[in-house]
Amino acid sequence: MRINDRVFGMLMLVLAVAYGWEATQFPIPFGGQESVGPETFPILLSVILAISSVYMMVKPDPDEKWSPLPMLIELVVVVLSILFFAWAIEPIGFIPASTFVVSFLSWRMGASFAKSLMTGVIASLVIFFLFNNVLELALPLGLLEL
Amino acid sequence: METMSLLMHGFAVALTPESIMFAVIGAILGTLIGALPGLGPANGVAILIPLAFSLGLSPTSSLILLTSVYAGAMYGGRISSILLNIPGDEPAMMTCLDGYPMALKGKAAEALAISAIASFIGSFIATIGLVILAPILSKFALKFGPSEYFALFVLAFATLGGVTGKNQFKTITAAAIGLMISTVGIDISTGVQRYTFNTLELFEGVDFIIAIVGLFAISELFFFLERHAGDGLKQVAINKLKLTARDIINVLPTSIRGGILGFIAGVLPGAGASLGSFISYSLEKKISDKGEFGKGDPRGVAAPESGNNGAASGALVPMLTLGVPGSGTTAVLLAMLISLNISPGPMLFTHNPDLVWGVIAAMFVGNVVLLLLNIPMVGIFVKLLSVPPKYLMPVVTLIASVGIYSVSHSPTDLYFMVAFGVMGYILRKVGIPLVPVILGLLLGPEMEKSLRHALVLSDGDWSVLFNSGLSIGLWTVAILGLILPLIVGPIIRAKMRRSKDSVKDV
Repeated sequence: MRINDRVFGMLMLVLAVAYGWEATQFPIPFGGQESVGPETFPILLSVILAISSVYMMVKPDPDEKWSPLPMLIELVVVVLSILFFAWAIEPIGFIPASTFVVSFLSWRMGASFAKSLMTGVIASLVIFFLFNNVLELALPLGLLEL
Repeated sequence: METMSLLMHGFAVALTPESIMFAVIGAILGTLIGALPGLGPANGVAILIPLAFSLGLSPTSSLILLTSVYAGAMYGGRISSILLNIPGDEPAMMTCLDGYPMALKGKAAEALAISAIASFIGSFIATIGLVILAPILSKFALKFGPSEYFALFVLAFATLGGVTGKNQFKTITAAAIGLMISTVGIDISTGVQRYTFNTLELFEGVDFIIAIVGLFAISELFFFLERHAGDGLKQVAINKLKLTARDIINVLPTSIRGGILGFIAGVLPGAGASLGSFISYSLEKKISDKGEFGKGDPRGVAAPESGNNGAASGALVPMLTLGVPGSGTTAVLLAMLISLNISPGPMLFTHNPDLVWGVIAAMFVGNVVLLLLNIPMVGIFVKLLSVPPKYLMPVVTLIASVGIYSVSHSPTDLYFMVAFGVMGYILRKVGIPLVPVILGLLLGPEMEKSLRHALVLSDGDWSVLFNSGLSIGLWTVAILGLILPLIVGPIIRAKMRRSKDSVKDV
């Protein structure tokens, strides 16, 4: 199968056209039109990307296999867990958020539940104290502040 | 002689207790990073940049820290090559050829010690080369005008795939994507908003440190999860070291040859460390093979190791003097310089002599530290190698995210990091290399600036880009860099594979 490169090439072609078109819509800079403006370089780039994406569609390489669907769903869950960490770091606090994300990741990578929880707790505490007390970069305490 | 006095001045900077401390910390961290499979040097340096940045280290200290990490990672890469038959990073591949057989013969400790000595000699020679060549090249680079610089940037991208690159168009695609991301934000010379979609977060453009950590470190995590590689691998047990002075003298000529070849390969655009170790291994095999190579000959360990360490230091020459890195890791080091507000290139040697020579002297110091660390303490690093990735990768991910978060205390940066991680995963799946993307992000602003300067000076006449002998020369090399791999690439790749396969049969 050589579908990956074709689809990706198509997407890149769309990107190239959209990006190039957007460049032609830039407002004329203060001081009037000159021979080179903010749009010159982007237009050059969009032409280059368009050429190479057409090449990818015409002469695609053999595909690297995508994982089966359950694995892809798992990866999405992992992405969500890191996003949750990013969201939770301020309102909930660094220690609980990072304990959660590290334990979760290590559990998903095949560690036993107890061991991954231990990794999470130890890593969070060590990093928190290292950052706050040794390196003096304050990490948010969140709920633990009360 | 001017160089000598500058270098002495550099040693004065590098031998302050503070600098030595950073060199030692960097060397230890670097060896760890290099030794851990899946955490290459580029990755490791990328994770440490935000930390160095938010700690508010002085430019000299941060650069000393990170160049020691870089040098250490090159040392560390060999450990997993020898014990696991899996290269810690790509250039360490050739070390597997004789290193692993030596370990199987119960000579793992000797292989590690010899490779450490060879690495030391390789880096040492190449650092001397750097001292000699860099000032000359930076004087020469002062002749460059904007159109020459533009051609030079094109050359950097064209040769980035290297002689062994697979699909040139994918390298170009990657570079274009990186350059496009770099155009996001307010245009510096006219103040026009480009691709910001009126989002405040995009006004200042995309922070390349976030992009680097996301593309390298986070996407690596996804790959680990996908391959179920959490359990780690079996390694060869390590024996007690029995190394005589004769063993060392035997590999000396090999190491010196390897170091010189490696340095040349590192300086040349498009060659890089992998080719450096490959060339020095094949040459050594031609010169001194009596049927022992591939079966655990110590010289077969020394040659590629001195070659790849030589190339690693050599690769700093174009990065420091021209501001054009030739590899992923030097690109990351360049990111460090730019984020410290230091613009590399010919002016660096005249404007910041303290910094440049301090760093060069620190490389000598770092090398000695690494040699001292690596022979007696190799056992500790080996222990750490046996920590399974299922515990290590989550912690590394956490450190990377904390580093990003502490730069500006903004969760938005973390969202961007995850987005780049997903992007890196998809790009790698489709076979788009990540290094050109990073390089595009880094060099984009400078490249656009030189194009615009050239065109403004010529009043919009594009032929200005080809109007001097120097720029025509650069364009020629760039075009060769794109075309040669199509012809030579398959041959070299086949050779590399053949020599690797022949080892597996043993």
